[in-house]
Amino acid sequence: MRQFVTPGEELPKETRRNEFVTFYSGKPYSNILGFYNEAKNEVVPLEGMWKPQVGDSVIGVIEKPSKPGIYNVVLSDFVQGLIIAGKYEDSYDFKANDLVEAVVASVERKRLAILERPRKLAIGHTIYVKPVRIPRIIGKGETMIGQISRLTGTRIIIGRNGIIWLSGGNMELALKAIKKVENEAHTSGLTERIKQMLEAESAARS
Amino acid sequence: MASSLNKPELIVNGKRLDGRDFGELRPLKIEANVLKNAQGSAYLEWGNNRVLAAVYGPREATPRHTADSTKAIVKCRYSMAPFSGLADHGRTGPNRRATEISKVTKEVFENVIFLNEFPGSEIDIFIEILQSDGGTRAAGITAAAVALANAGIKMKDLVYAVSAGRIGEHVVLDVNMIEDNYSDADMPMAISPKSGEILLLQMDGGLTKEQLRKGMEMVIEAGKTISKAQRDALKDIYKK
Repeated sequence: MRQFVTPGEELPKETRRNEFVTFYSGKPYSNILGFYNEAKNEVVPLEGMWKPQVGDSVIGVIEKPSKPGIYNVVLSDFVQGLIIAGKYEDSYDFKANDLVEAVVASVERKRLAILERPRKLAIGHTIYVKPVRIPRIIGKGETMIGQISRLTGTRIIIGRNGIIWLSGGNMELALKAIKKVENEAHTSGLTERIKQMLEAESAARS
Repeated sequence: MASSLNKPELIVNGKRLDGRDFGELRPLKIEANVLKNAQGSAYLEWGNNRVLAAVYGPREATPRHTADSTKAIVKCRYSMAPFSGLADHGRTGPNRRATEISKVTKEVFENVIFLNEFPGSEIDIFIEILQSDGGTRAAGITAAAVALANAGIKMKDLVYAVSAGRIGEHVVLDVNMIEDNYSDADMPMAISPKSGEILLLQMDGGLTKEQLRKGMEMVIEAGKTISKAQRDALKDIYKK
C-alpha cells in the first residue's frame, strides 16, 4: 500500500529534498498531495499543475496572430507559449486554432514558454489528462506508452502540459488505456495490468 | 451572538442542548474531489452544516490589472445558498457578512499557499453554504483547505478552523447556531497545525484571559480530530 501524504504532513528524516518538500524546524514536511516513494525517499505529487521546463515537449493551440511571425500558443490555464519566427526558424505558416507540437526552448517569468521546433499536427484526437500523471503514462524508458501504441496501432504524441494527441489504429482502446493509467497512476504493477487489458481486448475484437 | 428576553437555557444537566459535552465537536464528515469541473473540491458535513468548496486555478488573473507579477493572488467567495438557513441567521447572497467572511478566508489562505510559485495568476476559492447551523466560516475554511490540497496547490499546511465560545461560566467548543445566537462569546479560530500559527482569530462577546486560554486549548485539541478527517478525505480519493 502506498503511503499517501498531504500538505503539512511530516515525512521520514531520510526524505530527499525536492520542490514538494518543505523543511520546518529541521524536519521535512510534504507541501502537496502525493505519495511517498520509499525506494527513492521522495514525494511524488498526485495532483498539481504543469510548470514548464526547458526541453519539455508540449502540444498547444495557436491563437489568432497578433503580429506577423509571432504566434501565441495556449498551453494551459497558467502557461502561455510563444513561437517567434526568425528566432529559431525563418518562418511558419500557422493559422488560428491549429494544433501544434513544440519543444520549450526557454521559460520567462515562470509562465511564458518560448517554443522551438513547432510542428503542425494533422487531424487526430486530443485528450487532456492531469499533467502530473504524464510521467506515469510515458513510463520508465517509454515502456507504458510504447506498449499502448504498439498493441493498439495508434500513433500517440504526448505533451508534458497534459495534452495527448492520438491518430489511427484502435484509438478507442488506446484512450481507454491512457485513462486507466491516469486514474490508477498511484498503484503498482500497472504496466503489466495495462498489457493484459490491451491483449485481452484486442483478442476479443479480432 | 444576540441578547434576547427569550434566551433559552443552553446548558441542561451539565450538557449542551444537542447533548454534547463542553469540549465535544459535532460529527464531522468530509469528502474530497466531488466536483468534476473544479480543479479541487470538497463537501463537508459538520453537525447540520453542509458546505461545498471548489477551487479553480492557478489561472490568468482577470481583470488583468489585478494581477501581481511577483505572486499569485487569492480570491475567495463565501456565499450562503438561499435555502441554507433559518430566517434570523444571515441573509443570502452578497452582503456585508459574506464580504467579511470572504476577506478573512482569503487572508487565511494567503498565509499558507506558496503564492510566488504562480506569478501573475489567481487562485479562486468558492465556498457555498448549502445548510447552515452556526460555525459556517470555520466549516468553509476547513472544506476549502481540503479543496486546495485536492487541486494540487502547494501549501505549507492543511489549515483547519473551529470556534470556541462561552455559555455563562462555561467555555465550549464548536458553537452551533442557537449557541451562537444566545451565548456570551463566540471565537472562531483558524490554525496551521504544523506550526501552531493562528491564522484567524475573531471574537464576538467577552472572555477573560483564563477563558480565552482554555478556548484556545480546546481548539488546538480539536484540531487533531479535524486534521485527521481532512487528511483521510484526501487519501480516500485514491483508495476507491
